[in-house]
Amino acid sequence: MTKSTSATLIIIKRALVVLTCFAAFFPAFNPAKMSGLITGNASLFTNTISPGIIFNDVFNRPLRMEWIEYSTIQTIYFGALITFLGVAALAAAACLSFGNTKLRRLGLVVALGGSVVGIVGNTILRVAYGMMNENANVHRLEPIEPLGFILFYVLFAAMIVLAVATLVSLPKSEENEKFQMDSKYRLFLMILPFLVLVALFAYLPLWGWRYAFFNFRLGQELSMENFVGFRWFEFLFGNPARRADIVRVLTNTFALSGIGIATSWLPMVFAIFLAEIKSNHPRRAIQTLTTIPNFISWVLVYSVAFAIFSTEGFLNWMLMNLGIMESGTNHLMDNGSMWLKMWLWGTWKGLGWSAIIYIAGISSIDPQLYEAATVDGAGRFRRMWHITVPGLASTFFVLLLLGIANVLSNGLEQYLVFQNHANRSTIEVLDLYIYNQGLASQTSSAVPLATIMGMLKSIISVTLLFSANKVSKLLRGESIV
Amino acid sequence: MKLDHYKKSSGGDIAFNIFNGVFFTLFTIICIFPFYYLFINTISDNELVSSGRINLLPQGIHFTNYTALMQAAELGRALFITISRTVLGTASMVLTSAFVGYLVTKDAMFGRKFIYRFIIITMYFNAGLIPWFMNMHMLGLTNNFWGYIIPAIVQPFNIILVKTYIESIPKELEESAFMDGAGYFTTFRAIVLPLCKPILATITVFGAVGHWNAFTDSIILMQAEPTLYTLQHRLYLYLQFASDIGDVLREGSLDVDLMLSNRVVSLTVSMGSIIPILCVYPFMQRYFQKGLMLGAVKG
Repeated sequence: MTKSTSATLIIIKRALVVLTCFAAFFPAFNPAKMSGLITGNASLFTNTISPGIIFNDVFNRPLRMEWIEYSTIQTIYFGALITFLGVAALAAAACLSFGNTKLRRLGLVVALGGSVVGIVGNTILRVAYGMMNENANVHRLEPIEPLGFILFYVLFAAMIVLAVATLVSLPKSEENEKFQMDSKYRLFLMILPFLVLVALFAYLPLWGWRYAFFNFRLGQELSMENFVGFRWFEFLFGNPARRADIVRVLTNTFALSGIGIATSWLPMVFAIFLAEIKSNHPRRAIQTLTTIPNFISWVLVYSVAFAIFSTEGFLNWMLMNLGIMESGTNHLMDNGSMWLKMWLWGTWKGLGWSAIIYIAGISSIDPQLYEAATVDGAGRFRRMWHITVPGLASTFFVLLLLGIANVLSNGLEQYLVFQNHANRSTIEVLDLYIYNQGLASQTSSAVPLATIMGMLKSIISVTLLFSANKVSKLLRGESIV
Repeated sequence: MKLDHYKKSSGGDIAFNIFNGVFFTLFTIICIFPFYYLFINTISDNELVSSGRINLLPQGIHFTNYTALMQAAELGRALFITISRTVLGTASMVLTSAFVGYLVTKDAMFGRKFIYRFIIITMYFNAGLIPWFMNMHMLGLTNNFWGYIIPAIVQPFNIILVKTYIESIPKELEESAFMDGAGYFTTFRAIVLPLCKPILATITVFGAVGHWNAFTDSIILMQAEPTLYTLQHRLYLYLQFASDIGDVLREGSLDVDLMLSNRVVSLTVSMGSIIPILCVYPFMQRYFQKGLMLGAVKG
């Protein structure tokens, strides 16, 4: 056979491996899900890496009630484990197929072995399923025949056929050929594990957007019976109470982001004025000390707030000493001008830190410019205005655009720690609202609505970001992302 | 004529200098006074602290608060979890950022441009809180210590910082190593890693401070497993509890002792978790400016 057939076969083989790996990460295709008690969120991968799911969470009670034998549970786990090892071997084989002929042959042998192991694992799972059904109380376990059984059998069988066909079609490797791979692919394989991590934690969650179209509560199964289409979208915008809520939350969000954007020149001014302190030591000291608050968590900021503004705190002591107040109150419970307070805390924490980037920018401005300006008779303020500010403008512009793109994301932590039952109406920003709705509440609309809001937020933010990028390209001829 | 000009501006100059000095002194005091205030309150006589009478100077200095809290099992456990995640999480993140940052500078890589974008674009979108949570649940990382570590290994921003830094190193150094027959791993370990120390120091601090301060992941992911709560999560619970008690106290006359101990406990735990940051941070400060300047603007 020709070289090109084997090349085509290898490409088909890689595609098949990718499919198999996907199947191992999708709960719907989990061949170990043979009981309704195993959560619909567990994939083959999950079942394998956390034995606790099967041994403790799922079958703990059935085991005590003797609805299932311990040996059956063990068989299920080892079946899943062996099947997963087969999948892992296939993945390794696909990596080897990037090498020279000798490596490819090795890869095909590994693929063959992996498929056999996978089929053995799958068969063990089948056996376990039989063992489970022998128990008289099996209906308590809600047995289901997993779709994954068939799928994995088919995938592994196809792989065996393909591997054998490729082995036959592949030209013999030369006598003294060594295992070798192009640096092009070697580099790719080196970075591959990290790409898998990115895919798992940044791209796979997008699959969770499907909760927006179902009736779903935390801890429940997701099934097609609960599919409701765009019902929750209509509910979100149709229900007047809900609409009022959203208007309130968006007002808070835009107000807080707006204050932030309107004052985003502060760090720049901070840096410029700091640079005017000509002696080195005090300047360094100020820079170091004002960045400290950036490095403590919002919980600690709240703790600081609590220490100073509560009834026994510093502020009351000062006010009473100055004779402004008769007796102390807890200022944290006073919910006037919440937006301003939140902004002040953010500034206290972040101003010194945000200034660092401008300080770095100032130090990279050519000192000759200042000298020339001085010779020409420019005073201090003119030098600031005509040299420093233009020198920092592009950094400021980039950060401003990013700030505008992030207008919906105020972050969760600050508002989570400062919220209490009294200030909710003015502190609840979109991120906090999604948290309060989705995880802290147990109503039937919680998960779908929180998902929809997160989804819309992401889409709007990405659109804003790319628009900001366009603007930047038009005005400066440079992109920001 | 020229002298005149200088004389004229010097009046304004002095005024500006005074204003500037006063402003920065005040702001610096505002930034650090709270830490001083927390500290004197944790080492002073507890009775005075609870009634809010320690304000500028400590009185009746003692350190029993710290020793007492160290014996609380719940806190010791939380501290252990926090230290473990800080060490493991930071080490894995820094090594990964260094290695991936190095790899993406290699033009020879298959699909390099696409791969780089695939990683970097994740900085700008996320699926949202609920899908993220369900994903973590699906992967078995809820109520599981590794839920703190594994998702935080790949940090695109830190990868950008390292990549930009490596690009500023002369290419000849690496090439000469290649000439001598070194592979990618050897070059990375022997040439690139030592040269990247300043930027690695910067991202180590970012990573360590991030892990040390993290609490929302503890709140969201570890709900059913109190033994995995981080220190900040415990502190959050104490503070929430204490501020609720504060409400009740003003309305009725409940047992005041509870409030007293709560104030002291939350102050001491806070100070205890700030101290490590204060100890490490000043030494790392000098690296930030350079690292950030290279990375953040070029993004």
